[in-house]
Amino acid sequence: MKVIKAIYNFLVGDMIILIGVLVLVGVLLLIENVSALAVIRPVSGVIMVVAIIAIVTATLAREAYSKER
Amino acid sequence: MQWAVVSAAFLASAVEFVEAFTIVLVVGVTINWRSSLLGAFLAAATLAVIVATLGVALVQFVPIEILRLVVGVILILFGLKWLKKAVLRYSGLKSLHDEEAIYEEKQAELRARGEQKSPRIDTFGVLLSYKSVLLEGLEVAFIVITFGSSAANNVCSSSCGISSAAIGAAIAGILVIALGALVRAPLTKIPENTLKFVVGVMLTSFGTFWAGEGLGINWPLADVFILALVAIYLLTSFVLVMWLRRTPAQIANRKGVPAESVEEEVLQ
Repeated sequence: MKVIKAIYNFLVGDMIILIGVLVLVGVLLLIENVSALAVIRPVSGVIMVVAIIAIVTATLAREAYSKER
Repeated sequence: MQWAVVSAAFLASAVEFVEAFTIVLVVGVTINWRSSLLGAFLAAATLAVIVATLGVALVQFVPIEILRLVVGVILILFGLKWLKKAVLRYSGLKSLHDEEAIYEEKQAELRARGEQKSPRIDTFGVLLSYKSVLLEGLEVAFIVITFGSSAANNVCSSSCGISSAAIGAAIAGILVIALGALVRAPLTKIPENTLKFVVGVMLTSFGTFWAGEGLGINWPLADVFILALVAIYLLTSFVLVMWLRRTPAQIANRKGVPAESVEEEVLQ
C-alpha cells in the first residue's frame, strides 16, 4: 500500500487529475475503436484538449473553494 | 538531433537539478562536502544503471504506439501536477516555492540533530544527499526516456530521440552545477515558479500530442500542432490565474478576513 501511495504521489498526487485523465483515455479509446462512434472521431482531438482544460479547472476550483483553505 | 526535444528536456531537467542541488548544497555546507558528494555520486551511479536498463527495454521491446500513449498519459499527469501548483502560486493561493526557505529549513533541521562539520563520511549526510539526488534524478531519467522515446519518427530513431533528450538534460545538469559552484549559495536567483510553469505547459502539451497520437488522433499540421497546444494551455493558464485571483479565498487572503464573509458579500 505504501509503495502504491508513493508511486501515486510521485506521478500525480491529485485524485481529480488521475481519475480525469484515466476516464478521458478510456473515452478516447472507445471513440477510436467502436465503429458506432466513428462519426465523432474527427473531433476527438478537440475533445481531448477541452477535457484536459476541464480537469485542471476542476482541480483548481477544488483548491480555491476548499473549506480548509 | 531534435532541437525541440533537447530544449524540452533541458527545461524540465533544469527544475529537477535545481531541487537536487539545493539539498546537496545544504549537506555539503552543514555536514561536509565529502558525504554530500559521495551520496550524489552513488545516486548518479544507481541512476545510470536504471536508465541503461529501462532505456534499452523501452526502446527494444515496447511498440511505439503503446509507448506514446503510456508516456503521453504520464507526461499529462506530470504536466498537470506542475501546472496546477504554478497557477496556484501565481494566483496567490499557494506561497511561492522558495529555495532559500528550504535551505534555511534544512539547515535548522540539521542543527537540531546536532550535526557538526567533520571531515569524515557521515551516514546521514550521504543518505540525505543520495535520496534527494536519486529522487530528482529519477524524474530526470523519466523525462529523458519519455521525451526521447516518444520523439521517434521517420527521421530520428528512438535512440536518436533519447540521445537528444539526454543532451538537453546533461546541458541542464552541467549548467546548474556550474552556476551553483559559482554562486556557492542556494539557487534562489532562478525564478523556479516561472520555470515550473513553463515546464508544466510543455509537459502537458507534449503529453497531449503524444497520447493523442498513441490513441490514433491525427493532429492537424503534425508536429507543428505542439506549438498550438502550448499556446492553448498558456492562454488557459492565464485565464485561470485571473479567475483564481477573484475567488473568495484569495480576496479574503488580501483583506485578511474569513473566506465565508466574502462569499456572503458576493451572494448579497
